[in-house]
Amino acid sequence: MRDALNALKAKLNGENYIADDALAATLYIAMQLNRPLLIEGAAGVGKTEVAKAAARAFERPLVRLQCYEGLDESKALYEWNYQKQLLSIQMNRDGGQRVEDLFGEEYLLERPLLKSIRSEEPVVLLIDEIDKADAEFEAFLLELLSEMQVTIPEYGTVVAHSVPFIVLTSNHTRPLSEALRRRCAYLYLEYPDVEREIKILRAKRPGLSEALATQVARAVAYLRQSEAVTKKPSVAEALDWAMALQALGADELDDESLTQTLGFALKNNDDIREIMSDDEFIRAIL
Amino acid sequence: MTSLSARFCRHHGDCGGCGNCACEKPQDALFDRMVRFVNDLRAQGMTIGMRETEDMLRALHLVGFEDRDAVRAAMRAILAGTRREQETFDKLFALYFVSAEEFEANRRAMAKARAAMEQRRRELEETLTVDGKPIEFRDDLKDVYARMPQSERDRLRDIADKFSEKMEHAPKLYEGFIRSVFMKSLLEQQMVLEDAAEGAMQQDSDADMMFRDISNFRDSEIPRAYQLIDQVTRRINGAIVARRRAAGRSAALDFKRTIRAGLSTGGALCSLRYKKRHSRRKRVVMLCDVSASMMQFSEFAIRFIKSLSEVSDHSVIFLFSEQVQRVNPFALQDMSLFAGYVRSSGVWGRGTNIGRALEAVLAANPPVLGPGTVLIVLSDAKSVDLNRAEAALVKASRQAGSVVWMNPIPEAKWQYLKGVTRLRPHCSMVPCGTLDALARACARLV
Repeated sequence: MRDALNALKAKLNGENYIADDALAATLYIAMQLNRPLLIEGAAGVGKTEVAKAAARAFERPLVRLQCYEGLDESKALYEWNYQKQLLSIQMNRDGGQRVEDLFGEEYLLERPLLKSIRSEEPVVLLIDEIDKADAEFEAFLLELLSEMQVTIPEYGTVVAHSVPFIVLTSNHTRPLSEALRRRCAYLYLEYPDVEREIKILRAKRPGLSEALATQVARAVAYLRQSEAVTKKPSVAEALDWAMALQALGADELDDESLTQTLGFALKNNDDIREIMSDDEFIRAIL
Repeated sequence: MTSLSARFCRHHGDCGGCGNCACEKPQDALFDRMVRFVNDLRAQGMTIGMRETEDMLRALHLVGFEDRDAVRAAMRAILAGTRREQETFDKLFALYFVSAEEFEANRRAMAKARAAMEQRRRELEETLTVDGKPIEFRDDLKDVYARMPQSERDRLRDIADKFSEKMEHAPKLYEGFIRSVFMKSLLEQQMVLEDAAEGAMQQDSDADMMFRDISNFRDSEIPRAYQLIDQVTRRINGAIVARRRAAGRSAALDFKRTIRAGLSTGGALCSLRYKKRHSRRKRVVMLCDVSASMMQFSEFAIRFIKSLSEVSDHSVIFLFSEQVQRVNPFALQDMSLFAGYVRSSGVWGRGTNIGRALEAVLAANPPVLGPGTVLIVLSDAKSVDLNRAEAALVKASRQAGSVVWMNPIPEAKWQYLKGVTRLRPHCSMVPCGTLDALARACARLV
């Protein structure tokens, strides 16, 4: 077991995703049991990246469905090519065309969900920010998540040719249904600790010096636990900050480079003001 | 890496009682423990069906029992569906599945602690004697003595030594005195230990703060409470938006717009248009009790309600105690200034007269109550002149669309409060003593 987990971690590391033990174990179990994986956590902790890294690591195509308010079956699963059907009816006015013909393969437009289960090779299906979709859409997903099949009323039931590995992410802007949760393996991603953040920074920004990576990691760790900061910096923002410092040619964080680049980590003027007047912050970095 | 298997079976629980193991039927013991564990998780409110249990066993089959952390991660991924459930899971897991090394270390530490406790209890009996007989203390107080810090025990022993000579001359007098000194210290220490235990529980997690009585929040916890309110209202708003969208979307075709759109394609209805319903925001009138004991609750409630996206910006807030004051809307845009604003308003910290406050709301010109408004009263319903309050509330409930009373006192105590029994029939009174209850009540408002 330990070997399998280490191999999985190494694969993810190879794709520049630094996974901890809990993440590796959960991912391994979810993949082995063919169970969808629901990932929650604050914005920017790397939820989406798990799916992307898994797809690259296992050399599977990534099919992504970005959720939003009002997303429905026609955007997520399939749509009949209405215009094409209309043209076909007009061209065959003299008869000779049955209604059933209008609901065949030829007129079916595949959307991400259908595409992922009709794919011959197994894919990684990322259903991103499921909390932004409506509750109805969540209910519609249940059949896919538990049975790996979908039903199209005019066409019939489509059973998965290959079992996709499904990753759902949520920022928890609304509670998800119990039914959806029960069908998934669950992972809550915390912000990485300083050690892991240094590894992430160095993996994603190869030219970054160890000293600067350490300072940035310590600084964002401090900002995340500070009650004065309302918008906590994400991993992506830490990477942006490191990149900005690199672009400035800074070897280490000092007053000047901090003033010039703190806006890459904090996106709120009050937060910046509070932190710049906080002596503890400077001590934490050094 | 720590192993779970050592406690059960050296053959990973697969042998079915092969006879080579320390335990007789290791598989049964493990299975029994798993079943009890899942049952206890269910008792904690987690929904775990047969399918999850089955998947958990499959996951365990995959990971084996060699690595405790991997076992925990695998079981947790399948059984816990939210962060709160993860916390519950972790606590129970730590109790149920101890690694062999941890088990042995705990056993040794407990044996050592028990011996030390016993030694200190004996020390108490030996230190305090009259005529060679130990002074009697209750067993629980002996335990308190044994748990006291070393400095406290030394202090008590010094007192006993100081009076030991006098005790020989007048044993009865000094026995009573020494006993009372010891009792006082022991009871004080007992209180400190209980507070420490409670404090440890309170610091446990955010979840705990959500379910704790708001009146018990320490000052240091208030900023965290504000953050929690922000998080919860974000969630409520998300759910409301989703609900509104679902209700606002209609499957009904808008023929007029569809035909008009079809004109551009020669009358063929290529683009179908659907009807939409417009949502209307609620207008809220809040009447907030800011007597000294109620201010914290009122502030939390206002923060919640103001953050709800379904509440109109034109909502009106009144503060009251014995007097009433309509709040300047600009003054409450920044809620961090709320406490200062209330303290300087002249309304804060007095007695409560709900009747007068309701009458002021009814007499507002231009009128603030109407069929489309929700009147929210934030108060514990402890008021002078209940006849006046009842009459005014009846009138207000006729004028407003609905009256919701958010009461910070737990529902179990309502039967003992005269104000509640008189006013409750005329409004919808909801208990809001905790942040969780407050959040649920606010979510129901819209």
